[in-house]
Amino acid sequence: MPDPVVTKELTKVYKEGKIEVTALKSTNLILEKGVVVGLFGPSGSGKTTLLSMLGCILRPTSGSLNIFGNEVCGLAEEDLPRIRREFISFIFQGFNLFPALTAYENVILGLKMKGIVGEDADKRACYMLSEVGLKERMHFLPRDVSGGQRQRIAVARALAADSPIILADEPTGNLDQSNGRKVMELLKHMAASQRRCIVVATHDNRIMDLIDRVLYMEDGSIRQEKRS
Amino acid sequence: MFYVALRIILYDKVRSLITLLGVVFAVSLIFNQVGIFLGLMETSSVIIDHTPGDIWVTAKNNKNFDYSLPFPEYFYNHTISDPDIQSADKLIVAWGVIRQLEGGNEQLEIIGFNTDTGVGGPWEMMEGSPRDLKNGNFAIVDESAMKRLGRIQVGDYRDVLSRRVKIVGISRGVKSFTTAPIMFTSYELAQHLVSYVGSQSTVFIVAKVKPGVRPETVAERLGKRLKGVDVYTASDFSMKTRMYWAIETGVGFSFMLTIVISFLVGMLIVGQTIYNSTMEHIKEFGTLKALGASNMDIYKIIFSQAMINAMTGYIVSLIITIASVKIYELGAMVMVVEWWINLMVLGLTLVMCMAAAFVSVRRIKSIDPAILFRG
Repeated sequence: MPDPVVTKELTKVYKEGKIEVTALKSTNLILEKGVVVGLFGPSGSGKTTLLSMLGCILRPTSGSLNIFGNEVCGLAEEDLPRIRREFISFIFQGFNLFPALTAYENVILGLKMKGIVGEDADKRACYMLSEVGLKERMHFLPRDVSGGQRQRIAVARALAADSPIILADEPTGNLDQSNGRKVMELLKHMAASQRRCIVVATHDNRIMDLIDRVLYMEDGSIRQEKRS
Repeated sequence: MFYVALRIILYDKVRSLITLLGVVFAVSLIFNQVGIFLGLMETSSVIIDHTPGDIWVTAKNNKNFDYSLPFPEYFYNHTISDPDIQSADKLIVAWGVIRQLEGGNEQLEIIGFNTDTGVGGPWEMMEGSPRDLKNGNFAIVDESAMKRLGRIQVGDYRDVLSRRVKIVGISRGVKSFTTAPIMFTSYELAQHLVSYVGSQSTVFIVAKVKPGVRPETVAERLGKRLKGVDVYTASDFSMKTRMYWAIETGVGFSFMLTIVISFLVGMLIVGQTIYNSTMEHIKEFGTLKALGASNMDIYKIIFSQAMINAMTGYIVSLIITIASVKIYELGAMVMVVEWWINLMVLGLTLVMCMAAAFVSVRRIKSIDPAILFRG
């Protein structure tokens, strides 16, 4: 079984007029199953760029990106949704929930995007919302729950589909310490119990102890690596 | 996706209401303009369409029903002598002046017809009968004329041109595109009243062809044979009259312009609100893409929003339009609402809303993934 993510010389260069800015420099990386990887580093260090490319929503300028044995750099734009559908889920700092849909409906919609519908989707949504402690509030709109609960809805949406790769951008950024820790503990538990590969881009050093592998980024490169 | 679109619409109540009002405004305007235009067209040829005749003989280069010049009466004999003509009647349509009771004059359209056959006469009577016009200075006015002429009752006398005529009947449903009051008289009285027609002339000859004979064939043959007049089938003359008022007077262009403007206004309103809504949900749409949704999945949500707006706006507009038909009738105007107009406006509404949604669709295509990562 291939590794979830393998990158070779992965590079992203942004062009602004005649000026070229290298956001990610020749990055070589292998991410394994069952591990929570933390991307640390200051703003502009390339964390979000790397996360976007791992999630196939940003195309690299050069290099190779392999997701479970699928080389995605050569794929056409219309083939990328399939890769995202099969292998990847996201958790965003801003939650990005549909305000018009309840917690349950947001999770169901996420599942529908993954091709999971009907009774199966219903069971998964109910289970995952219970897992994140929102059983009683699954029919609430996002505006009627707290920030921490919204993030947990987003986590439930990401985890319900059983995607083997979870990419989380500042998942604790809008949460207090207690809620932030709960979310990270849940992610760590999922990584360990379900052999998922979880990549977290964060500034939050308080959750360092819940990270299995720390990658410290600076100026578009991985400068330091530490395994716990 | 339809359900998501519906939930978004129900959630953004104020925005949805503004969109709905915009669609209703535009669609109602389109409905009204099309309905009134067709009503005017129907009015312009209402007498031709209700006259039981297949062939109309008119003066040379005649352009419409209302402003027709007289031509020699002997063409009647040429017409009736055609082997395929079953019957023919002379008809006078001319302009006169009626004196108002309180003083002042009003122009009116006088229609003199054969009271024995009733061809060219009123087809629906509220009071009296077309036969009451025989042997005297008698007239029938249409109820629609009362707006201009004041209250008229059977038994009243009015001065028309040089004569005092007695009102012997009130008809219904006879209107003129010119909005002038219409008065029916016997053919003979019309000849006397309208001096420019004269006793040796007529304005129209209306003929019926024998059963099984195509009016087009007879009209073509008569047209070739009768020099100095034009010959039309009833449907051709009706269309010619409608086209005259629609095109040569610019009325049609004016209505068309209003319809196009309404369409564009509606498209702008719907486009703007759907675009704003899309922009407001751009992160959520981006998230769906990140979760594996194709652009098409998101287009479905946006187009569903447009369709819901279109259908809701259309239904409300249709109800308003049907209700306003009666209001127009009170104002002596005709608004046509028929199934094919409803279908056409539905099509226009859908096109309007879908076209408006295209701007948002273009935006979805180019979602910058970076927005997903902004808190």
